[in-house]
Amino acid sequence: MSNEAVLHSHDVHSHDDHHGHHHHESFISKYVFSQDHKMIAKQFLITGMVWAILGGLMSVLFRFQLGYPDAEFTWMKDLLGKWVNDKGQITAESYYSLVTIHGTVLVFFVLTAGLSGTFANLLIPLQVGARDMASPFLNMLSYWFFLAASLVMLSSLFVETGPFSGGWTAYPPLSALASAQPGSGTGMDLWLIAMALFVVSSLLGGLNYIATILNMRTKGMSMTRMPLTIWALFFTAILGVLSFPVLLSGFILLIFDRNYGTSFYLSDIFITANNVGALPNEGGNAILYQHLFWFLGHPEVYIIILPAMGMVSEVLSVNSRKPIFGYMAMVGSLFAITILAFLVWAHHMFVTGLNPFLGAFFVLLTLLIAVPSAIKVFNWLTTIWRGSIRFTPAMLFAIGFVSLFISGGLTGIWLGNSALDIHLHDTYFVVAHFHIVMGVAGIFGMFCGIYHWYPKMYGRYLNNTLGYIHFWVTLAGAYLIFWPMHYSGLAGMPRRYYDYAQWESFKQFGDLNKFITIVAMIVFAVQLLFLFNFFYSIWKGRKVRSQNPWGATTLEWTTPINPGHGNWPGEIPEVHRWAYDYGKDGQEFIPQTTPVGSNETNHH
Amino acid sequence: MEQTAHADTKAGRREIWRVTIILSVLTIIELAIGFGMYLWVHEDGFLRAFLKGVIIILMLAKAFYITAYFMHLGHELRNMIMTVVVPLSLFIWFIIAFLYDGASYKHLRNTYDKGFKERTTEKTHQGSDHGKKDLKDVQPQPKTEAPPGPAH
Amino acid sequence: MSTTATGTKWWSGGRSPFNVEYGKLMMWYFLMSDAFTFGAFLISYGTIRFSANSWPDPNVVFQSFPFLGSGLPLLFVSLMTFILIISSVTMVMAVHAGHRGDKKAVVWNLVWTILGGLAFLGCQAWEWTHLYHEGAWWGSNPFANADGSTGHQDFTNFFFTITGFHGFHVFSGVVINVIMLIMTLNNVFEKKGHYLMIEKAGLYWHFVDLVWVFVFTMFYLV
Repeated sequence: MSNEAVLHSHDVHSHDDHHGHHHHESFISKYVFSQDHKMIAKQFLITGMVWAILGGLMSVLFRFQLGYPDAEFTWMKDLLGKWVNDKGQITAESYYSLVTIHGTVLVFFVLTAGLSGTFANLLIPLQVGARDMASPFLNMLSYWFFLAASLVMLSSLFVETGPFSGGWTAYPPLSALASAQPGSGTGMDLWLIAMALFVVSSLLGGLNYIATILNMRTKGMSMTRMPLTIWALFFTAILGVLSFPVLLSGFILLIFDRNYGTSFYLSDIFITANNVGALPNEGGNAILYQHLFWFLGHPEVYIIILPAMGMVSEVLSVNSRKPIFGYMAMVGSLFAITILAFLVWAHHMFVTGLNPFLGAFFVLLTLLIAVPSAIKVFNWLTTIWRGSIRFTPAMLFAIGFVSLFISGGLTGIWLGNSALDIHLHDTYFVVAHFHIVMGVAGIFGMFCGIYHWYPKMYGRYLNNTLGYIHFWVTLAGAYLIFWPMHYSGLAGMPRRYYDYAQWESFKQFGDLNKFITIVAMIVFAVQLLFLFNFFYSIWKGRKVRSQNPWGATTLEWTTPINPGHGNWPGEIPEVHRWAYDYGKDGQEFIPQTTPVGSNETNHH
Repeated sequence: MEQTAHADTKAGRREIWRVTIILSVLTIIELAIGFGMYLWVHEDGFLRAFLKGVIIILMLAKAFYITAYFMHLGHELRNMIMTVVVPLSLFIWFIIAFLYDGASYKHLRNTYDKGFKERTTEKTHQGSDHGKKDLKDVQPQPKTEAPPGPAH
Repeated sequence: MSTTATGTKWWSGGRSPFNVEYGKLMMWYFLMSDAFTFGAFLISYGTIRFSANSWPDPNVVFQSFPFLGSGLPLLFVSLMTFILIISSVTMVMAVHAGHRGDKKAVVWNLVWTILGGLAFLGCQAWEWTHLYHEGAWWGSNPFANADGSTGHQDFTNFFFTITGFHGFHVFSGVVINVIMLIMTLNNVFEKKGHYLMIEKAGLYWHFVDLVWVFVFTMFYLV
């Protein structure tokens, strides 16, 4: 039947593309409206980096307020206008806006789009052996929806009433009532539009990643021969495709509550400001929004961490010159994490009025996540155990990731208990937990990927010395910032306060806060060093001379140093073995494309 | 066309008509039960809950026939069926947890917010069977007013 | 299941493990994603209903039929349901005709499907207008609860939001089908040699029917 022809027509098509491309590639079609997955990956990466800098700068600003609540920096007034009061301090409203936008931007724009958008686009076609994504056009749209979301979010920073300031989770009623606070008006409208566009972007991307991994694998690339990066990106895409729509539904109901007088989330509300008085809304349930939000929100943290896990697995194996330990266990634990990710959302809501009996089930399911997480950690450790480790910057970031994942993950076991959560919820303990295990670990995974695949992206290396400085300062800085927060959080210091100096119980942490702020500024400065390294190396970095600079087995290193659209100039190579034949039968590594020899031992 | 039943046009057409008839019959049974409840079963109790359960089972049966035959999923490879059906099982916990917590919220408010209980159980109308005509007299028509609260 | 010989290495790469083209796969997974959108709506509706002491009786609210007056519960929505089922049947026939390469049958079945979709949208427009004139709209519920207490505010809110979202899907399905019709008439698929695009449009259309099965049950029956 015609089906076979259709199945392969795409290949033929992009093959033609490849040959035809050299003559009619204008600047616009190559760099702007590109349908080449590698260029789209770079677009995601650089947009994500812009957001990382903006989001990081926001954190420096609000850390400024926390570390120096009494300082009078009048020069800030010139810089930030009415975000700063006449005494030279950030106003309370802009403080909350900064915290809110910092969270939204880092979670969604940097660690979702910037991380899985970049590496799913770059690695999936290259590592499964495809000329491009299943649908390059939808892939391009995915980036443009993301950019549109970015621009709308960015524009909300310049609105007169300020951007949204009710926290990145946007709980109603703060997010539902325009009169709740200044940022809840236009700022929130723009926030919602940006997020809706982002959901579309993530859906288009995710569908493409799934279809590509399933349908476009080259000959011989069975699922169990795929590198773990691809498995991780596959599960990430599934998480996104199934959980983002729930968030979208929650947002649509929120939009109706905001604009059309419905009461989905609203009940019994009295507003004193501007003599609004009692609202007529009755019968709604604010906890419903939280359920809907966290039904995405929890899978979202795995959307962030799984790609990092996948890349770290790959980099650890390549740079230990050893096969990954327990490949199937790694795949199985990724799968288990994916399933559990959908079942545990309400552990973010233990003290919101959630039924405690129901909460008990969420505790149980949450603690189960420790099992696959532990499997992964031990497999990483056993992978580098007695390896001939090459401490490249990518490898250091991978090891740093494992360290952070352990120290942040352990506190997750505390927080997963609903009883302990009574004391710990909404304290700096939570802030420390999720920043280490999701934020910094996710960023480390991203750096690990950037350092490792930079030669593939630009045909040049990043500077190693700068890389080492970047790594050590960031790692030490991350721990110095977030370790102390466990301490103040256990002592009961709540999140989201503007000025702790007014509380007798929290005054004692003033110096600690100052210390954290200083470290945060240093760490931020070092990221600028990385930024310099990144852009400098695009043009001036040491050139890659060999096709396979890391001695890796995977398919991306069988392409030319600067692959064109279509990735392989000739036929797509066929795959004969799994991705982890390192140190086998006395050979340092055997690429996936090498046919199995007649006298090879235990073949995968 | 080696693989499927639909290649055989006649069998395909017969299947379509068979499924159409099944869907129609299921719908008619649903409607009959719904109408029966309207006429005879007013009290919230076991019988009403049971009938609603039957309707939901019939609904799932209809969903099965639409997906399996109209959307052709039944004729796909087994693995593909699995990739579609297995993730849908996430709905089980999704539904249980949400509804359980909704019911719990009602219980909380009825227990600790007497005002809520009074407001929501006070009979302002003479039962629903008399239709909307009486209701209109009692109920304001907010349609003509500005939408409440959040819109500004 | 499938009659394909066993022993085929579906998963070893170089082919689709499900023997389907990527577009159909993407359509299926998009529909699953959309199922979660609708699922979240309906589950939210259930959550609010479970947290309410009482809820309006749909048989009292939806009991009018054009030209026949009121007192006829379930009748109008039955009509809407059957329209959608029949339009699904004609869509399947269009897809099958596509497999045979029978252009004329594709065209006629698509026309019937489009008409069915439009008829459904017309019915919905009538019902919405009727309810609007009774005072029902977003933020306004004139219907009392079944136990005679003041009507729950979110009854109409959910009704209009969810049926509206479904109606939006029907509308976009009609638009897709019109595009398919135009492409068929322009021999786009004849030149391609296959009508697989119609199959994907069909999946979307059946999904719209599928969602209606749930919406219909949840709002009008239980």
